[in-house]
Amino acid sequence: MKQMQIIVLVKQVPDTTEVRLDPKTGNLIREGVKSIVNPDDRNAVEAAVSLKEKYGAKITVLSMGPPQAIDAVSEALGMGADKGILLSDRAFAGADTWATSGTLGKAIKKLGDFDLIIAGRQAIDGDTAQIGPQVAEYLDVTQATYVCGIDEVRPDAIVVKRRLEDGIERLELRLPALLTVVGELNRPRYPFVGRLLDACREKAPIEVWNAADLGFKTADVGLEGSLTHVVRTFSPKSKRQSEMLEGSARDAAASLIGKILNKKLLRETV
Amino acid sequence: MIRSNAEELLRSNIGRFVDSELIPKAQEIDARGEFPMEMFKKIGDMGVFGIRYPKNKGGSGGNTTLFCIICEEIARGLMSMGAITAMQCLMGTNFLFHYGTDEMRERYFLPAMKGEKVACFCLTEPEAGSDLGNVSTIARKTADGYVINGMKTWVTNGPVADFYTVLCQTDPEKKFRGLNFFFIPRQTPGVSVSKPFDLLGTRTTLISELAFSDVKIPHHHMLGAEGLGMDNLLSILSEIRTMTAALAVGLQRAALEDSIRYAHERAQFGKTIANYQLIQAKIANMAVNLEASRLMTYKAAKMIDNKIQCLKEASMAKYFATEGACKAGDEVTRIFGAYGYSMEYSAQRYYRDNRFLLYGGGTHEILQPNIAKWVGL
Amino acid sequence: MSVWIETDLCNGCKRCIKACPYDAIEMRGEKAFILERCTSCGSCISVCKQEAVKTDAVPRTIPDFSDWKGIWVFAEQRDGELLRVSLELLGKAKELGGELEQGVSAVILGKGIERLCDTLIRFGADTVHLVENESLRLYRTAAYTKVLARLVQQFRPSVLLMGATHLGRDLAPRLSRRIGVGLTADCTELSIDKTEKILLQTRPAFGGNVMATIANRYSRPQMATVRPGVMKTSEIPGQAGEVVCHDFKVEEKEIGTKVLELVREKKKKTDLSESNIIVAGGRGVGDRKGFVLLEELAELMGGELAGTRVAVEEGWISQDRQVGQTGHSVRPELYVACGISGAIQHRAGMMNSRYVAAINKDPRAPIFQVADWGIVGDLHEVVPEIIKQLKTGSWNKQQRGGGD
Repeated sequence: MKQMQIIVLVKQVPDTTEVRLDPKTGNLIREGVKSIVNPDDRNAVEAAVSLKEKYGAKITVLSMGPPQAIDAVSEALGMGADKGILLSDRAFAGADTWATSGTLGKAIKKLGDFDLIIAGRQAIDGDTAQIGPQVAEYLDVTQATYVCGIDEVRPDAIVVKRRLEDGIERLELRLPALLTVVGELNRPRYPFVGRLLDACREKAPIEVWNAADLGFKTADVGLEGSLTHVVRTFSPKSKRQSEMLEGSARDAAASLIGKILNKKLLRETV
Repeated sequence: MIRSNAEELLRSNIGRFVDSELIPKAQEIDARGEFPMEMFKKIGDMGVFGIRYPKNKGGSGGNTTLFCIICEEIARGLMSMGAITAMQCLMGTNFLFHYGTDEMRERYFLPAMKGEKVACFCLTEPEAGSDLGNVSTIARKTADGYVINGMKTWVTNGPVADFYTVLCQTDPEKKFRGLNFFFIPRQTPGVSVSKPFDLLGTRTTLISELAFSDVKIPHHHMLGAEGLGMDNLLSILSEIRTMTAALAVGLQRAALEDSIRYAHERAQFGKTIANYQLIQAKIANMAVNLEASRLMTYKAAKMIDNKIQCLKEASMAKYFATEGACKAGDEVTRIFGAYGYSMEYSAQRYYRDNRFLLYGGGTHEILQPNIAKWVGL
Repeated sequence: MSVWIETDLCNGCKRCIKACPYDAIEMRGEKAFILERCTSCGSCISVCKQEAVKTDAVPRTIPDFSDWKGIWVFAEQRDGELLRVSLELLGKAKELGGELEQGVSAVILGKGIERLCDTLIRFGADTVHLVENESLRLYRTAAYTKVLARLVQQFRPSVLLMGATHLGRDLAPRLSRRIGVGLTADCTELSIDKTEKILLQTRPAFGGNVMATIANRYSRPQMATVRPGVMKTSEIPGQAGEVVCHDFKVEEKEIGTKVLELVREKKKKTDLSESNIIVAGGRGVGDRKGFVLLEELAELMGGELAGTRVAVEEGWISQDRQVGQTGHSVRPELYVACGISGAIQHRAGMMNSRYVAAINKDPRAPIFQVADWGIVGDLHEVVPEIIKQLKTGSWNKQQRGGGD
């Protein structure tokens, strides 16, 4: 069996769990929010590296983002990926999932043959979970989303477990295939320090491609190449008038119960 | 060409490990007071211990700055773990790496890099702490090798180490010129290890005495050319002090971060204590000390990386950062009020653990006169 | 393409800053300034009353879609049972269809499911497209995509809605790419733009920290997946509709996947989306023991226990009780949030609760912004108090007597 070629899609995202709202304006405080590798994507890299350890494989990690997204690629190399590609160009900015999947898809075609593409289920900044299936469609390969287990890889097929809302599905897919994986699949390793530092060096096997490298015109990608557009954004402001209940634990508990009963939310004789 | 910044990337990744693996377990590990083998192995798995050594020789290809970043981050989670890591990265393995034979490197150094073997460094004796000229552990040369007799104390990792780098006197007449380092595997007959000391802080860093009684080792276990032990020690002294400063920076950060969080949470008289100026003053002082300590520490680290003599800068950094850590440990327990006195919160740990920094790498009673001398007194 | 500000024209009104979805404009002195992260989306252009925002972009022409008509709902069934979200979508589709004066169709795929068509009609479908076939019995991406793509191309609906279930989120993106249309995921609100007559799709973005309204102007159908639990169903007794059966063959070899095994986990009794009272815990609960406490409160109130993602990840509570962006959306009468900071991901799942009570140590916790009643304090002290007072009825005396 020839060496398996695995492509992993990773995205650098703002750590949305760290985001706080300005208590006065209700706006996002974006300053100081760290950029991290999208959590599910770490599971995707781990899955690829485990497969490499078990079956032997060459792993190429592919990301799209601003220049600083190189860190996500470097981290994946630190975890065990062999090669990295960052798609970075001002023209890619503002892309919806249609434009993004087209850009990633074209980059994968440029990379050549592959057996398996692994991506995280969804990115925490967009939560769309659309890129995986759209890339699979672009490349006309089979897909499995919500993968929570990889049972077996054969030269022409892969058997995975999918996490459904109410159960587990065991699915056999013809290769090449694209998987999107969920957190329960594995526990991602931390990057190996030596590999991580190597990934920062000039001679690291990382390439940066722009729109022209992929043969795109500006109108094909980014905001102009998108089919959906943001019309408006707003803070999910609450219409509630918050009332703080003061005093000792005893007092506060008593006033809360009073409020709840007042609104007839509980039977009074609990 | 676009490339990641190694220092930032290393910091964010080690920091992530500390936040998600070490900090949640820190209280428990500290309370148990045993060598944290599981955590030690995890850190070893990441290739952290090889940070100072080149990649083609089993290391991770870093430098002193990157080493200090690691020490700072890990100490931020748990000072003991920082101390153990520093020992493994620097004093415990440095002489073995530079002067050991290939066979010794294969059997001990490489496993130590992976966290499979624990290293330690034996310098202090009951009668020789700061005064190393007084070292009385004797290595007597014989036809087959050396016979070592004597006693070492305050040996960090002593109770669990698999091999020791031991400072011995080969010829008391020669004083400093008779000092040499020797490599002694633990299972060598004649080595005995005391029970771990009962310590105020860093309770999971095990420290003990070691006794050597007619310990026989071959000639090639002398690490470095004869008579150069003291020179070789001095060659890493700046690095030891800078590393200690980095540990202190880590503790200051932990204390400051906890203080800020707590000040926002704790409400008294209808507002959080963050609103009170005396609390603000404490936080401001901690922040300023931290910033200054950090600048001094990484200045010294950069000088080491650029091969510039910096014993003065390293000593100043160690002194200032450690004093800052002591102050931070004090202030955090005050900001926490009575909870600072409770073993349930981590504040007390910063208060106890900062003492560890006072002794290693030179006491301040030794450093201050030296600093005064260096600036022209 | 780029966007810039003619500083001479700018009067510093900040409208553009508010309009920018990317937070890419700030004030420099008295004038607006466009930052590096601008994506040239143009949202700022139309809001500027001074016409100070300029662009060199050529306006895109919107194709004529007047022959694309009808609101379609993909009705999801599992083992012959309709999912509730399908009915929720029909309810919304009916409303949208009313505004656009267009009919509502449901499309349902499977085998042996004909009896479900009546329900679909009763909940709002004017037409049901039924495709029955052995290869469609169990969901497989390629088979469903192929059938739906053909139906869409044949009937040219204007809108196509699907539930944002695991199945919907597997199928919708695949289908959208196949038929060349845009897709908006996980919508929580749908409406019609009165002037353009297009579908406005609102969804949480940036981890739910902002809401984004998205339009799909350049392709048809306008596709969106919708979160289960956010739309209301409406049954229309006596509604008449027609069932159209289609016969499509899908070859096994085109599908490329085989379902080897499908294990449905036993349906738990708990259904958070049906519960009137929910007591939920987050990181502040601290451990599994803390959840025992919350469970006691939930039981006492006759409600259900729930948790945040952190609580699930820590193993304090099972995944089927997770509320939030990646868990359930709930709309109970009362939601009691204990030790929950209120990360937006969590709020996204509980914002529709009628009343919210929050207990948290950190007065800055964002949960207080969405709470009707807030208590700054340690839940480990407050919750036992609530339990005690509920049991003994002593809250009443407390109220009158007041304090220690």
